[in-house]
Formats: sequence, structure tokens, C-alpha cells
Amino acid sequence: MGALDTGLDFYSTVLDLRGVRQELLSADIANASTPGFKGVDLDFREALAASLAPGQMVSGGASAAITMLVSDEMQTPSSAGVGARPSVRRSVKYQDNPAVSLDGNTVDLNGEKLEAAQNALDYEAAVNFTTQLVSMLMTAIKGSSGTSRSG
Amino acid sequence: MSLFSVFSISGSGMIAEQQRLTAVASNLANANSMGDSTGQPYRAREVVFEPLPADSGDADGVNGIGMGGVRVAGITQSNEPGRQVYDPGSPLADDKGYVQMPNVNTTDEMVNMISAQKNYQADLEAFNVAKTLLQKTLTI
Repeated sequence: MGALDTGLDFYSTVLDLRGVRQELLSADIANASTPGFKGVDLDFREALAASLAPGQMVSGGASAAITMLVSDEMQTPSSAGVGARPSVRRSVKYQDNPAVSLDGNTVDLNGEKLEAAQNALDYEAAVNFTTQLVSMLMTAIKGSSGTSRSG
Repeated sequence: MSLFSVFSISGSGMIAEQQRLTAVASNLANANSMGDSTGQPYRAREVVFEPLPADSGDADGVNGIGMGGVRVAGITQSNEPGRQVYDPGSPLADDKGYVQMPNVNTTDEMVNMISAQKNYQADLEAFNVAKTLLQKTLTI
């Protein structure tokens, strides 16, 4: 469609990806005691850039310090919807976490909780922006009924 | 939608931690159980976790999530040698008068318990965050 839903489209992608990241972090937390489990994370910047049309992305600082692609089939997001998209899949990486416990688990519970809280905040921010955008569109459609223009 | 699968992932985590806590409780309760039905002393149980494989629609209680919750792969019994107590009067004593006690290490169990509690709390937190986020999404 045209100008009406361009901004909404962007925020829908952002919310989708934030949701995927929340899923990954929750899975890390759930597996904080699983022997051999390697913590994963979504490279959000990369995933967003891959999900958007060229030119839609604002370039900026470097992405997170996660480098290795996830190779374990058990740890790749393949859920229906956005997680199944190859562009998102490619951005899911192992965390570059030096702390490895004796059983081979690399999940840092405090770090995961921190990241999850931050991600939740970013999600809420995106929700707020979306709400504002919707109300702006509604204003554009209805006219500003709050202020008196007739007088 | 991916936020919905957070519920099943964190839920599976909570179930798993609960089972771990059950094992701890069983071990502590049986720290002095010298003979079970086979006459052997109680051996400490420990649960082993494994990540749920992708697309495990058939896994117990967790439907259709791709990215991994967790489940209890099995329960192992510790092979550590138990401590021996000299008690010649006991019917369970061997020729030299020693009784085999369970190999439950209460310090280990307490540490295990705290770890299970912390992980459970973290799972619950992730669960609540997903709930809050979905509620916010409904206000768009």
C-alpha cells in the first residue's frame, strides 16, 4: 500500500524481531542448567537490516559482540512465522561468552536477564511509537476534533 | 507469534526446575535411608536437562515451539561411594560392623536447591515480561 502503512510496516517488523529475541533469551534462561547448552542471541541490527527494504534502514554503530552462527539444529528458531524466515535465522548467533561452566553450559543468567529486560523495554518503546503513529494517522483521517477550527 | 512461544518455553523451564527441586527434596528426605526394598542404601538422584529439539510438537505439554524449551532427559543415580558408619548392632551392618549410609551430600543438595530456585525465578520473570509485552501490544 501507499504512505499510510509504510511506518506501520516498519514497526511491525521491529516488534516481530523484538519478539523473536525475547523468545531466544527466554529459551536461554530456561536452559540455564542444561549441560552443553550454548547461549544464543539475535543480532537485532543485522536481522532488521535483512528484513527491511534497502534504504529503509538507518545505519549506525556496530552490532553486538556475537559472532558465531548457530549450527546446532536443536538451538535454531524454526517456529512458524518470523522465526522461520531465513533472514532472521541467519542473524541468530551464539553468544560470545567466555564464562563456560564445567558442564559446557555458556548461559550467563544475570546477563540474560539484563538483556531480556532491555529487550522488553525496547519492545515497549516500539509499541509506544506505533501507538503514536496510529493516533497521528487517525488525526490525519479525522481531522483534529479536539481543537476548534470552526471558530 | 514468537512472544506466545515464550510462555511454553518458560513454562517448560519451570516444570524442569520443579522436577529438579523434587529430586533435591527426595535426596534430603532420604539422607539417612539405609535400606530400600533391595536392602541397598539410598543413592542420590539427579535430574539431567536437555534442550527441547526444534519442532517438538509431540513433547509433553509443549506444542509446536521451534526454539528450545527444556525438559528432563532422565534421572541418574549418583555412584559416589557413601559414607560408612560403625554400628555393629544394626541389622544392616556387614561382617566388620560397618553400615553403608546413603551417598547424599547435603551441601551439594542445598546448592542445587538454591540454583533451582534462582532458575525458576528467572523463568517466571521471563514469563511475566512476555505477558506484559503482549498486554502492551494489545493497546496499540
